[in-house]
Amino acid sequence: MPNPFDLPMVGRTLRNLVSRPATRRYPVEVRAPFPGSRGTLEFDLDTCVLCGICARRCPAAAITCVREDKYFAIEQLTCLACGVCVEVCNKNSLRLSTDRRAVQTRADAGPDGQRPGHEEWHKQDAVAPVTAPAPNDATPTVGSPAQA
Amino acid sequence: MKRTIVPMGPQHPVLPEPLVLDLILQDEKVIDAVPTIGYVHRGLEAMVERVEYTEMGFVVERICGICSFMHGMGYCLGVEDIMGVEVPERARWLRLIWAEIARVQSHLLWLGLGADAFGFENLFMHCWRMREEILDIFEQTTGGRIIHSVNRIGGVRRDMSDSELVAIVAKLERLGQAFEETARIFRTDPSIRHRLSGVGVLSREDAHAVGAVGPMARASGIRMDTRLSGTYLYDQLDFEPVIETDGDCLSRVLVRVREVTQAIGLVRQLVDKMPKGEDHPLDTKVRGLPNGETFIRLEQPRGEVIYYFKANGTKYLERFRARTPTFANIPAMIKLVKGCDLADVPNIILTIDPCISCTER
Repeated sequence: MPNPFDLPMVGRTLRNLVSRPATRRYPVEVRAPFPGSRGTLEFDLDTCVLCGICARRCPAAAITCVREDKYFAIEQLTCLACGVCVEVCNKNSLRLSTDRRAVQTRADAGPDGQRPGHEEWHKQDAVAPVTAPAPNDATPTVGSPAQA
Repeated sequence: MKRTIVPMGPQHPVLPEPLVLDLILQDEKVIDAVPTIGYVHRGLEAMVERVEYTEMGFVVERICGICSFMHGMGYCLGVEDIMGVEVPERARWLRLIWAEIARVQSHLLWLGLGADAFGFENLFMHCWRMREEILDIFEQTTGGRIIHSVNRIGGVRRDMSDSELVAIVAKLERLGQAFEETARIFRTDPSIRHRLSGVGVLSREDAHAVGAVGPMARASGIRMDTRLSGTYLYDQLDFEPVIETDGDCLSRVLVRVREVTQAIGLVRQLVDKMPKGEDHPLDTKVRGLPNGETFIRLEQPRGEVIYYFKANGTKYLERFRARTPTFANIPAMIKLVKGCDLADVPNIILTIDPCISCTER
């Protein structure tokens, strides 16, 4: 018969009353990522030669690369952040970065029905990456982003 | 007497995963349970036909978020076996170190969930606070907290320096000492004992008959552990599986409590025995395409996992199959649920450590 007065948790609970909290006050206090953390995929249009090795090797098929159209796109929400594309890129155009990005929601879906997290680059006119429109620009595709 | 059917799941009081049990009740007693699975089937096994064998390991890792390292390791071991690739010595030791740290992480997660299920939310938070530090070790050494992606066919993708390994062992041992206090709560707290002792008893014979694996079988007194076969360097470690004999929910908790301490000890042994130095190769260059078939057995935190591989000389495997420990333990769970009280069902379900994502893939 266990002793009903043996309460091993009590000491711990009392200690917790006077100890510091174990959690961080997150948006105020951010822990720096460890060196070598994988983070999210970033792309540099200027150095890329659109060879397409990364797109062929990507296990999640998150990268689209069309050489003829000089078009490159990453689906950030499909990306596994495994780093295979970074390893195989001969031009070091891809890297994994731990910089924090804004949270993406359905309202960030592209005008042509691209999923949130879709980023695309066009080499012809060398425009800046289209990182999803601001929520107030949202087009009627909101709510059905994956139909395309 | 009139019978009632209570559908339990896919939205659950105890488990964030969609296990469905139709409980057939007579009064408060469960007389039968009909399991249904298929709510998180993602077709990962079929993806071998579309993803090249060199990259499929990163997909296989995503079968489960808790034993992700072991899934990735099992996949690589299988393809290496088919292709006859010799993995460098240091890479083999590093894999086992990560595998044992993953066991600590998995058991701490489960102990927390278990505590939450039997209504001890305070203890749940203590377990998860410790787990957070293990996840930090993973992020430091592999670059990812949950999905590590360090296994590659022929070896590993990252090294840990010797000083880093010593620091990890020191950190784990400090955690182990802190865990002793939590372990004492699991062992001695009267409310836990009252809630779990004698609930859901699986006898040794029944465990044999339904083919229970892992901590479930060990809690019923079966000396069964895939690591005992001595493959993958386990023969070089001093190691004896943790066994409890009562077979009830409390034994299953205690097996996992003791395995946390044991896994920390194994990491220490692995670090002591592995080849030291900086200039060891980490992977062998793999050439050619796999052709043939093989089986791989590993002891995951939840029990024995079996992988089957069939390759046909192309860059896509023909068949890949994983039989995960939860799948093997579901018959045992059904056996335990029959005859118990409705209020004990959540505890019984949880003590098999179910992972429905693993089961359905």
